[in-house]
Amino acid sequence: MREQVITGDIIADPKTKYGDAKASTRHFITQRVTGAINVLFIGLLVFIVVRSAGQDRADMVALIGNGFIGIPFAVLLAIVTVHMRNGMRDTLEDYLSGATYRLAMLLNTLFCLAVGLAGVVSILKLVFWG
Amino acid sequence: MVELMLPKADRPQKGKTRPKPEGAKRLREYHIYRYDPDQNANPRIDTYFVNLDDCGPMILDGLLWIKNKVDPTLTLRRSCREGICGSCSMNINGLNTPACTKGMDDSTGPIKIYPLPHMPVVKDLVPDLSNFYAQHRAIEPRLKTTSPTPTKEWTQSVPERAKLDGLYECILCACCSTSCPSYWWNGEKYLGPAALLRAYRWLIDSRDESTQERLDDLEDPFKLYRCHTIMNCAKVCPKGLNPAKAIAEIKKMMVERKVAA
Repeated sequence: MREQVITGDIIADPKTKYGDAKASTRHFITQRVTGAINVLFIGLLVFIVVRSAGQDRADMVALIGNGFIGIPFAVLLAIVTVHMRNGMRDTLEDYLSGATYRLAMLLNTLFCLAVGLAGVVSILKLVFWG
Repeated sequence: MVELMLPKADRPQKGKTRPKPEGAKRLREYHIYRYDPDQNANPRIDTYFVNLDDCGPMILDGLLWIKNKVDPTLTLRRSCREGICGSCSMNINGLNTPACTKGMDDSTGPIKIYPLPHMPVVKDLVPDLSNFYAQHRAIEPRLKTTSPTPTKEWTQSVPERAKLDGLYECILCACCSTSCPSYWWNGEKYLGPAALLRAYRWLIDSRDESTQERLDDLEDPFKLYRCHTIMNCAKVCPKGLNPAKAIAEIKKMMVERKVAA
């Protein structure tokens, strides 16, 4: 696809759009909300890291396998990956454009999806099947 | 899009050093960016010495002293020399500011002067602000109403008028926009702090009746949401305004509208 040529007239036209207008505020809200939730969950993350320091695999399985810890941890991981994708989108929009941006964004989505799915499935496996 | 290095042809090189004025006792060294599009050469940094006993105290005074007494080819914009018109904005010792309100005694050592960053240069210290003005035009900085025009005037209460304080004083010097990294990387698409400050000024004007249309026009991942609250704009504004806060308020209006929908 050919890139839009930006001229003074295009810039001066208030109706010009450079991206997905309807999604922009939604992305902004999602980023802020997931960021706020991450702050709330930070205590859980610190607890897990401190609690698992120096422990062997069996202790880790027992810790994450506890539903009261594992399920919130899975939720946190899912939210973190959504936040990660949004944050990376912002960075990519800053530095790339056109086809390069679209390719990078596709890779970003796939990476976040892979990390999120692998993490959540692994934790849920420990919670429900040990 | 981001450019981390200047193209080779745009990199400044060491230029000429003009002789010190004869008999002068108090001197100040100026390093000034020089570029002439008519000469097929890289920009250069020329060195001048200003006689402080024959010159006013501000950096603009020094520049005009150089232009009048040493090198009439030095090109710069200036008009009011009172910090009102914003014409003489330039990058002085790494900070964007009008040269007329910056004193020579604010710093020690040589004074390094460049045009406003990341803008096309017309000549020497004169940047091309066409894009900046087009963006200002894009936010339609005027009262837009649908109600019948009153016979006398559009009235506004004192508290409503007070909301415009800290917004209307912008002199369009472009110091804020040209200090913003987001504006450097996406200057054609991101409206920049100056235009968005002015946009918010009209968004909260109680007399304006186009708030929703204005928000529609601003709702874009580039025009508004490129602001990452870096705050350079608030740091450099010569009028002490806070464009970053105005941009945050616009984002808040966008969110409230989205949530209410």
